[in-house]
Amino acid sequence: MSTALELKGVSKRYPGTLAVSEVDLHVYAGEVHALLGENGAGKSTLMKILAGSFDDYTGDVFVDGNRIELHTPAIARAAGIGMIHQELSLAPPISIAENILAGRLPTRLGMLDRPAMLIEARRCLALVGLDHLGPLTPVEELAQHEAQLVEIARALGREPRILVMDEPTSSLSREEVQRLFEIIRGLRHRGIAVIYISHHLPEVFEVADRVTVLRDGRKVGTHEIGELSSQQLVKMMVGSAVSDLIPQRSAQPGELRLRVEGLSRWGFFHDCSFQVRAGEILGIGGLSGAGRSELVRSLCGIDPRDGGRILLNDREIAPRNCAEAVRTGLAYLTEDRKREGLALRLTLAENLLAAIIPRQCRMGVYVGRDRSEIVSRNMDSLHIQPPEPDREVAMLSGGNQQKVLLAKWLATGPEVLILDEPTRGVDVGARVTIHRAVAEMADRGGSVILISSDLPELVGLSNRVLIMRHGHLVGEISGDRCTEEAVLLAANGEEPVGLAR
Amino acid sequence: MSQSNESPSGVTIFWQKCGRLAGYWRAVFGSGSVYLFVVSLLILGRLISPQFWSGENLLQTVKDVSILGVVATGIAFITLSGNFVDLSIPVIMACAGIVAVYALPLGAGVAMLAGMVTGCVMGCINGLAVGYLRLNPILWTLAAMSVMDGVTRWAYGGKWVYVRADTAPGAAFSALYRGSLFGFLPVTVALFALVAAAGHFLMRHTGYGRQLRMTGASYEAARLSGIPVRRAVMLSFVISGLTAALGGLIKTSFSMYGDVEIGLGYDFQAITAVVLGGVTLAGGRGAMSGVVGGVLVMGLLGRVLPLIPHVGQDEQYAIRGALFVAVVGLNLLTLRRAGRSDA
Repeated sequence: MSTALELKGVSKRYPGTLAVSEVDLHVYAGEVHALLGENGAGKSTLMKILAGSFDDYTGDVFVDGNRIELHTPAIARAAGIGMIHQELSLAPPISIAENILAGRLPTRLGMLDRPAMLIEARRCLALVGLDHLGPLTPVEELAQHEAQLVEIARALGREPRILVMDEPTSSLSREEVQRLFEIIRGLRHRGIAVIYISHHLPEVFEVADRVTVLRDGRKVGTHEIGELSSQQLVKMMVGSAVSDLIPQRSAQPGELRLRVEGLSRWGFFHDCSFQVRAGEILGIGGLSGAGRSELVRSLCGIDPRDGGRILLNDREIAPRNCAEAVRTGLAYLTEDRKREGLALRLTLAENLLAAIIPRQCRMGVYVGRDRSEIVSRNMDSLHIQPPEPDREVAMLSGGNQQKVLLAKWLATGPEVLILDEPTRGVDVGARVTIHRAVAEMADRGGSVILISSDLPELVGLSNRVLIMRHGHLVGEISGDRCTEEAVLLAANGEEPVGLAR
Repeated sequence: MSQSNESPSGVTIFWQKCGRLAGYWRAVFGSGSVYLFVVSLLILGRLISPQFWSGENLLQTVKDVSILGVVATGIAFITLSGNFVDLSIPVIMACAGIVAVYALPLGAGVAMLAGMVTGCVMGCINGLAVGYLRLNPILWTLAAMSVMDGVTRWAYGGKWVYVRADTAPGAAFSALYRGSLFGFLPVTVALFALVAAAGHFLMRHTGYGRQLRMTGASYEAARLSGIPVRRAVMLSFVISGLTAALGGLIKTSFSMYGDVEIGLGYDFQAITAVVLGGVTLAGGRGAMSGVVGGVLVMGLLGRVLPLIPHVGQDEQYAIRGALFVAVVGLNLLTLRRAGRSDA
């Protein structure tokens, strides 16, 4: 088989971190090559390099043996690299034909050549088995999976020799996934190299020929898929744990703090019941899209609920909005720091105190009781740098911004602290500080619910881990059986190791 | 990253110093940079005319813009909340004036109260639409403006309704614009000062002010922090409705008749003053001191421009418009240079 794509020593540095480090990759024409790794392993950065998003990566990329500098998306397209993104990049009100041919609409004398456009669009649609659709149908009238296939048709229409697919099945049902796999097998026969990025191990075993595993920006290895079991693959992804950095906790959980019974939101999660004790950190593990964030957002009244009961300290609560949730002692640290977490243009102190404004008022007048004391105590305990209350939060590093966000919620003195990806995209130092602060809060008798795709963090911090899959809580792993491998396998629906229910 | 608890490292001290310096800079020149503009115009005026610096002239300058100042104070709250401006300001002013004139036979106090209630109700409607229904503030208030304008014209037939100065309430109402306190301070200037002081207090020293700033700076972050964002936005429109009504009353007292077109142009002038004063259109940043400065610039421009040869009314409009574009442009430019995607 001939080599379609070769990477030699490719690296990409973001300010502060080396996202991809000295990666070598060999992809043959006519193979499906899976790219696996945990969140932050460097998969998406590597993919962006292939898409031509960066002009400052180092190392060499060869397409069909020719060295190419993938510095712009146009160069990548011209080199025959096609991309199918996880999120749809189609314009909903525009017709299928125009979406498929965006950027290369056929013209004659400067005018749109309509017949040529329709012929070409039909050809592309036929490639993905959508020939029953009219090319002039607006994309917004399509079902989600049809739109996903249109996206693929668009990429195929450019006759790529290398096709990169990022989680292409995230919005597809089981049958639609099978259909997609048929298409992928067809591509393989036509000699196209497919790079397939996914979290879902069963899919990888079903469709891939070979698999490359990345971890912490480095390549762990490339193997024929037949040589590996899921356990071996998971071990490669997880590696030897860095969990020794995570603080050890000895304190035993105390009395029952939060009880959730049959919480549901139609279409997102169903009949979820769990309990959290004082001094306990409860982890929730699962793949992205399993409904973890949705569950806790509904719990806090950010999103609606369709049913279920919430009892805090044996009293039923039903927060209808965030204000009520904050008052009753629930604190939700969002996974989207920049949009939902901080007001980046305001100062560190303003952000830190944002959730306790009413408490600092007397008759509506802001007196700022203990204001500077609260601010400096939190800045000290979380080592926020620079320790300057009047500095704009946008000027802080990502790690320090995340600490400010955590400090905002710690300042409310919450009964239950809910963390959604608390250390995503922060540096190691901030990560350690945040872990220590969360462990301290639990040791002082606080309750914590931790959602994380960072397995060492999830397993290392949590007393026990609930597994969520397709909107259902499917089990619980605790004690010695609570390992990264066990969580990852259970989240994938493989062999429920030590799953207790 | 420094993690030392014992003694602050050199890096830490450096950051502290930088931050403090930035703080000073912001305090002096941030919202205060508009005062550089005020001083330049004062000097320019002095160069053109020796009488420019007389107490009489300066007081008159402030009196010229006291209605604008009252209106701009309310608008500043809307801008701070991230909703730009209330374009129905002119109609609210006119309605408050007309209602007051109709209620005048019941007494000057009752008439003014009726005018203020009118403004409050209209502000509530705008606030409900923008705050609770999340309608686009520009489009909604523009639509509200044309609807209310149409209704008012239909109800009053576009007629002027005169204040009868020969009655006691009429005379009292007339004094709203013409009266003065302690023999020298015009009532309107005192009202402007009072409203600005109240605005400053509300913006700076109340929980509401802090919540509104947070809401304007990041709506979602404020919402997830438990801030009642919808109520905060709604209240900003109520405040703006109240100040617009007060402005309309003063304007009606000046003209001595109620009319639909009384508030024409105040929306645009007010937002110019607000933005000049350093309240960013992106929301979440600004202070009352800056707004007062912006209002003073508008007043001084109105005094200085006519002194320049060949600058008539039309040219003044053009200059004010150019000023607005320049200020908003500069505003966005500095925000973008700082890497803000929201600018």
